[in-house]
Amino acid sequence: MNLILKKDQLNHLLNAWRQDYEVYAPQSLQNFTHFLPLQDGFELAFDKAHNTRIPPKALFLPTSEALMKFTRFGGYEQIPSETTPRVIFGIRPCDAHAMTMLDTVFEQERYTDPHWQARREATVVVGLGCHEPCQTGFCTTVGSGPFNHAGLDAILTDLGETLLVETFSDKGDRLFAQLEMASVDQSVRAIEVQQAAKEKMPIAFETEGLKEKLDQNFASPYWEEASRSCLGCGVCTFLCPTCFCFDIVDEAQRGERVRNWDTCMFRTYSLEASGHNPRPSRVERTRQRLSHKYTYWVDQINQIGCTGCGRCVRYCPVGLDIRAMLRKAHQLPSEVAHA
Amino acid sequence: MPDLDALKAEAKRILIEGVVDIVIGFKAGDTPLHPQPAFFKTIDEVDQLAFDGLCQNNLATYLTRFPKTQKIGMLVRGCENRSVNALVFEGQHPREGLYLIGVPCEGIIDWRKIVAQTGEEVISVTEQSDNTILVEAKSGFFTLEKKTLLHESCARCIHPNPISADVVIGELLPEGDPALARAIVASFAELPLQERHAWFRQEAERCIRCYACREACPMCYCEECFVDHISPRWTESGTTPAGMQGWHIVRAFHQTGRCTSCGACERACPMDIKMTYLTEKLNDDMRRKYNFEVGLDATTPPPFSTVTLDDKSRFVV
Repeated sequence: MNLILKKDQLNHLLNAWRQDYEVYAPQSLQNFTHFLPLQDGFELAFDKAHNTRIPPKALFLPTSEALMKFTRFGGYEQIPSETTPRVIFGIRPCDAHAMTMLDTVFEQERYTDPHWQARREATVVVGLGCHEPCQTGFCTTVGSGPFNHAGLDAILTDLGETLLVETFSDKGDRLFAQLEMASVDQSVRAIEVQQAAKEKMPIAFETEGLKEKLDQNFASPYWEEASRSCLGCGVCTFLCPTCFCFDIVDEAQRGERVRNWDTCMFRTYSLEASGHNPRPSRVERTRQRLSHKYTYWVDQINQIGCTGCGRCVRYCPVGLDIRAMLRKAHQLPSEVAHA
Repeated sequence: MPDLDALKAEAKRILIEGVVDIVIGFKAGDTPLHPQPAFFKTIDEVDQLAFDGLCQNNLATYLTRFPKTQKIGMLVRGCENRSVNALVFEGQHPREGLYLIGVPCEGIIDWRKIVAQTGEEVISVTEQSDNTILVEAKSGFFTLEKKTLLHESCARCIHPNPISADVVIGELLPEGDPALARAIVASFAELPLQERHAWFRQEAERCIRCYACREACPMCYCEECFVDHISPRWTESGTTPAGMQGWHIVRAFHQTGRCTSCGACERACPMDIKMTYLTEKLNDDMRRKYNFEVGLDATTPPPFSTVTLDDKSRFVV
């Protein structure tokens, strides 16, 4: 459904939602923007940064989350899932698209994560399309785009004085039920804006044949070169909207079983109880990060596991750029023998 | 601005003459705000060498990755030179296996301070000869005073000159004012206890435990960091207040008498967490109580690295 929202009525609408929902939107925190719940007198921070520093996956998979409480004497209780109704407003299409990939991890047929699922069901996701390409993003290269609908209940297109609202689900319809229908003219203009935005986004690297190249070059010396300056920190993966790895730890003193974000870039991630580490250095770990996104996800769900948000590029402390790394990988020779 | 041609010529010379096997420096980045650390093994590769105020890493952090037998050349600014000295003292590489190309440092530009003024969509950055930098951003062109963009650790740097390099390229710069380094310590230490605690918590509890600060630090080279230790566990590994505070306190304490105030930890942090105020406090204590500054040479032991049989604290011996 195509609806129309006057910009000067946006805050009114957000406040109306606050009656029924906890409403999250990008707001300033220190020097960056962050999805925070709206309070009275809120100020949206869309002009400060294109994307929030931490991807909104954190609203579904918190950095740390207690799963269960236990006592030393055998008793335990599960911690109930969070079901507060929420709206996430102003999510970028790359981040929303990433959420659909994480659904394939946390909502599998046989294994469903109750906390993830409960939060997903209780949340309405409203996207804000990107009119201007961001410098480090590459959404159109990897099958996403500045107005991609995946993972969204509604998306907004800026038409100047007004915002065109497209809804894609009952959740989205309910949220915007008060708005008037958009005219055909407004809908056509939105399509033009969306098309123009897509065309402005440059293609960052060739994806055709990339998976095969990476598979063939598993044992290539290229990975040593690619990882040479890598610090081995968790910035790229923690700020990645599709990275989901976690570690489960028993905080025995508090009696809590906790799930914490973890990353394949850490030595301890793949360290086995015997002391053996199948990914002993940054070389193997760098290969894992890129291969997971660009070959293993493709094997599993037939999609590249990256939506091109560009956070890993923007915030890498040593300036490593996954786009450049993949461009080089694509030029590697074919048919290198496996190790 | 260092003379890039002279740097390249020296890097090539030491490779050709076999003085070193590899030169660690910087090359232009794939994005305008982030030059990358680079490792040059041939003279052709040295042509990529780049060096400007945006080179934000402390290259000494790579030193401990190489075998001690490898002959390494490294571009060093004041802080990097002192980090190398501290690492040499700690037995991490023999000094004779190193060739340090010194560059007096005008300070590292904090890219965050650029984007605060220009917006984050930066297209190019050019350092100009009049101590300004020209930034082309999507929002327009900006001419910014370099001085206003320096990372705070650099704005209060005491020793900008490489102190024991094998060669220095560029004019030596005047030493910094130690009072500036003390000011940051005082601004924190003089706060009432409650406020000081609130400040610490506000900074520490933004942490996402990515350990970029640790990995960027030349002195954090432990094969197993205390936070990764499983039995016993020294601290919670999650983002609970206890876990985050535990990390930031112990990380700082492990730097006592070892931190060179380079600020690489802060520059690497994806959450813009202030942390040098803690290590500056420890450095200030080292200066005032023990008359010791880290890395001024490679032979004076840091006060907390010395033990004598007549130590007043009997539990030590």
